This record gives sequence, C-alpha cells and structure tokens, in this order.
Amino acid sequence: MLKIDNLHARIGDTEILKGLSLNLDAGEVHAIMGPNGSGKSTLASILAGREEYEVTEGSITFDGVDLLELDATERAVAGIFLAFQYPVEIPGVSNINFLRSAINSIREQRKEEPISGKDFLAKVKTCGQLVELDGKLRDRSVNEGFSGGEKKRNEIFQMAMLEPKLAVLDETDSGLDIDALRIVSEGVNAMRDANRSFLVITHYQRLLDHIVPDHVHVLANGQIVHSGGKELALELEEKGYDWIVEPQAGKA
Amino acid sequence: MTETTLTPSDAMAERVLKTVRQSGHLDVAPKRQAAAKAALASIPYPTTRDERWKYTRTGRLQKLNFHRANDQPAPAPEVLPGFDAHRLTFVNGRLQSGNALTRQGMFIGPLSSALAQCPEKVQTLESDHFAEDEWFAALQASAPQDGGAIFLDDHVTVERPILLHHHMTGGTTVAQPQHLVILGQESKAQVILWTTCDHDATGLVNAAITAEIGERAHLTMEIVQDEQGEAHHIGHHQFRQAASSHLEVRTATARSHWLRNDLHIQQNGQHGDSTFHGCYLPNGRQFVDHHTRIDHAKPDGKSDELYKGLASGSATAVFNGKIMVHPDAQRIEAYQSNANLILGERATVNSKPELEIYADDVRCSHGCTTGQFDDEALFYLRSRGLTETAARNLLVRAFLAEVLDGFRPEIQKHLESVYAERLGWN
Repeated sequence: MLKIDNLHARIGDTEILKGLSLNLDAGEVHAIMGPNGSGKSTLASILAGREEYEVTEGSITFDGVDLLELDATERAVAGIFLAFQYPVEIPGVSNINFLRSAINSIREQRKEEPISGKDFLAKVKTCGQLVELDGKLRDRSVNEGFSGGEKKRNEIFQMAMLEPKLAVLDETDSGLDIDALRIVSEGVNAMRDANRSFLVITHYQRLLDHIVPDHVHVLANGQIVHSGGKELALELEEKGYDWIVEPQAGKA
Repeated sequence: MTETTLTPSDAMAERVLKTVRQSGHLDVAPKRQAAAKAALASIPYPTTRDERWKYTRTGRLQKLNFHRANDQPAPAPEVLPGFDAHRLTFVNGRLQSGNALTRQGMFIGPLSSALAQCPEKVQTLESDHFAEDEWFAALQASAPQDGGAIFLDDHVTVERPILLHHHMTGGTTVAQPQHLVILGQESKAQVILWTTCDHDATGLVNAAITAEIGERAHLTMEIVQDEQGEAHHIGHHQFRQAASSHLEVRTATARSHWLRNDLHIQQNGQHGDSTFHGCYLPNGRQFVDHHTRIDHAKPDGKSDELYKGLASGSATAVFNGKIMVHPDAQRIEAYQSNANLILGERATVNSKPELEIYADDVRCSHGCTTGQFDDEALFYLRSRGLTETAARNLLVRAFLAEVLDGFRPEIQKHLESVYAERLGWN
C-alpha cells in the first residue's frame, strides 16, 4: 500500500531524512520509534504533504500512485490522514461545519455524491462516542480552548469521520494522561481493519501497549536502522536506543 | 479673477461645486451652508502633513476633472434583489426611485421632499458643526444633494428595513448626498445604506450621514460600500446620541477603490450604548481608511468598537480609532479592537488607537494586532481534504466572523461572495 524507497529530504540546508525505506501493507500497523531529532515528525509531515520540506532523492508510492506529485489536499482525497502532534486551533471555524465541508470536498474530488445531513449527523454521533467527544466540543471552533487530551481525541474523531486508508499518528500519545491514552487507543483499535493501515510515530512504548503494532522500526539519523516485531518496543523501553543507534552511527 | 490664480484646492472646490449645482443640490440648513462655505475658504486642504490625514493621499482628488453626469442616467443596479425593504434609490445625488412614506409621526423619503413637507425637522442639520473643521465635510455641506430622510416621532417603531441606495455613474463626476435620520424618544429604525458605482467610474462620492438619536431610541445602521471602478469615496458619518439611546453601526467596505470614512459618535446623554464594527478587504492598489471617534461626554456610557480587515496585493488599509472620555464622564466602559491580516508582500496596514481619558473612573481597553495568514491552519484544513481556495475562504470568513455575523444574513451572503471574488482564490 505504502512504499517509501531511499527517501532523502531536507528543510533549508539541513538534511533530515537520509535514505529512509519502508513498506506498509494494507491492514498493518507499523510503529516508528526513535530518539529526538531522528526525523520521525519530518516523515509524518512529508507523507501529509507539508511544503516546507524538500525531497531531494527517493520515492513514495501509495496504492501505486506517486505521492510526491500530490499536494496536501490531493493526499487527503487519496486516503491519507495525519493526526497532528500539535493540532491547530482555528477560532471562528466550527469543528462540525469544517468536517462536513472536508468530507464533501473529498467526495466531490472523488466524483461521489455529497453526504446527506442525516447520514452526516449519524456518523458524527457514532464517531463522537468512539472517542467520548461530547456534543459541546464537537460544536466549538476547531480545537479552540481544547485541553491537550481533547485535541488528540478530536484528531481521532476526525480520522474516524474521514475513514482514511492510511492514518499517520504523529506522537498522538504526547501530552495524554492515562485515561485519554486509553480512549484514543481504543478509538484507533476500533478503526483497524483489513484495508486500513496505520503508521504510529511515538517516543514511548506505552502507546504500543494499547495499540499493538505488527512491526516496529527504529528511526535514527534519518534512516530506519532496525526493525522487528512488537517485542522490539519493550526491548527499546528497557535498553534505550544506544545499543542500536551507536554501532550504526559508528559505521557511517 | 481668472482660474489660474486659484490654488489647486480652491480650483477643485470650484469644479466640484459647479458640477454639483449644475446637476442639482438642496438648499438645506442655510446657516450651516454659509458656515461651510466660510470654512472652505479658511481651512487648509488636508495633506499627509496633517496628523489626521497622514496616510491619506488626497492630492489625487485635485487632479480629477469633474464633469456633469448625464441628466437621464440608466437605472442604478439593483441591490439585495428580492429583499423586502422600503427602498429609496439615488443616482448622482438625485432621487431616482422610491416614494415618500408619510404617516402620523413618521416621514421616510427623500430629503428633497422632506424639505417641503417637514422643514422644521430638516432644521436639525443647523446644529451640525462638523463641517466647520473638515475641508471635505465643508465641501459637502456647501452644496449637499439629495439623500434619505428618516424622521420618527416619539414611540414610533418601524420594523421594515429602510434601504437607502446611492449610485454614482461612470466617468469623472461628483455626488454629495446628504442623509438625515432623526429618531424621537423610544423610537426604533433599521437602516441599510448602500453605495455603488459603475465599472468605469473615476469620480468622487463625498457623502454625509447625519443622525440624531433620541432618548431610549434605537438605531441600527448597516453601511455597505460596494463601489466598482476607480471611484473615490469620502464618508462623513455623524451620530449624536441622547440619554439611554442605543446605536449599532456596521460598516463593510466591499469593493471600493479609494475610500476614507470618518465615523463620529457623540454620546451626549447618560447611559448611551454604541456598537460600531467594520470590515475591509482592499486588494490591488486600493486604499481604505477608517477613522473613527467616539466622544463619551456623559457618564455611564458603553461603547464596543471592532474593526477587522485584510490587505492584499499592494493595498493600503488605515485604521485610526479615537476614544475621548470627557471630564466627569465617569463609569464609562469603552472597548476598542482592530485586527488586520496582511496577505500581500507589498500591502500595508497602518493602525493607531488614540485614547484620551479625562475622567478617573472608567474602564477602557484597546487592542491592535496585525499579522500574516496562518499557514499552519491552512495546511491543517488542506490535510483534511479542503482545497486551498476553500481553506483560505474559510479562514478569511472565520477571521471576519465577529464583524460579518453582525450584519443581516442577506448582507453577509453578499459580502462573502464579494470577498471571495476579490481574494481571487475562486
């Protein structure tokens, strides 16, 4: 479904990704872990189409399409969703109206009929329950005055509403207390199915207790330096990154 | 005396007055008119060396070669089609369509008819001295033309909105409409004042609104300045409020090419309440200047001022808001806010609050922000599937929401479509 090959990217003069390769198949959950500054969020931003980053080498294909040819809007239409590490507050834009516009914009670009008011409201109700986002929050301006946990729940709510094929969760666990972590994870788990993939970017293993990945990758110095099964996350929690990262850095 | 001996401003005044008199003006308030003529001769033409005109380049107006417009102009374009209102339409300072409505305790019609039917009301203009200190106001008051007249006696409420529409035709002509609103005690009216110009208009609309709001009366005025072409507009908007009266003035500058508004509110009675909001969105090489002033002359008054705007291209926007709290005007609550977004690399915004407070027990606040478009918000919306155009329009709408939402829905809709078109994102 997603194939990243030898990706090099930079922002300004700083090269951040230095030959990253990764394959995700449909229905799989991959976790990306790694030390600060290793390029995890850069990868998420590039997948979602953030324009500040310049891809200098390599390729990304998504369902056979060259993703780098698509802008942020087109990627959403193609079925990619990014749950932001820092969801943006947008005063004056109602959460619900914006989501309806977004769904209909995607449908229009896919040459589908707009969603009916009734179906939309039914969906809002189901998805809202999924992450325990009450009506008041749904009707407020996008993320305005939301707590950290509410913002992250709102991201998962939006994800559930938009039903992407690939969801990239960028440090969705950061700033969450244990209850919010559970709610967010349950929301994600409820969305797992054979056709939907997840790329879970995290700093801590605790999220992966709740969202159990099929594969865990270690990203360091702009490359995937080690991959393993879900047990790798526990090992990293115990031993840190040094035992993987150091020898790689030594080789370079 | 030959014209060569005249200063450029005298020559301009002469051209304007000649043109206006040819097409027809009203002899209202003769004392005010005489004072205005005297002022015109004595006060200097405003230039950027004057603090109040620092950012307003008025030299271009002296270069306009005014001529009299066609006596039989084409009908003004319809505004708010299908909207139910008592309509009066003026073209180049003359009544084009609409009837006077005269009932017990009420007159709604053109000022030209009011002059004959209720001259004592029109006399109210004599107490307006604004023109004595302002060159362009003096020019207007020297030869005012026809405009709307709305007179309500005490305890009269008019539910149906009154739509005053002034249109200026193409070419370089000049119009000086005078609108007059007088509300008796506990009366109530809703007025929409709409100005338009033809696509090829390059002239000057030098317009005045004078409003007297009686005790406990309530006036809502929605001003839409939607002028096509490259016309110039100077607006003198004067509101005087008696005790416990309520005023809402909302001004939307939609398409105007070069525009200066002077809004002046005087709370002359205790417990006055004034809301004045405005929005503007100049693009290209356009210029929009909102100067506002509120005088809290008596205690216990409230005012809520909010202006928001976007400047794109090489446009210039000016906001200058003066709050004057007079001695002994205690327990005033006055709030002012101005927020701007700069969208073009060559766009300019000049924003200046001016607070003069001579009473000691007041609550006054002001805030002013000027920033760039929020690219992070734009990316967030696009990452959810909105097109860049839709995302930008949504953000602009959201930025202007506090101001736009105060207008009636029909006007909001019109402004949204004009703004979307102007931003060029469609």
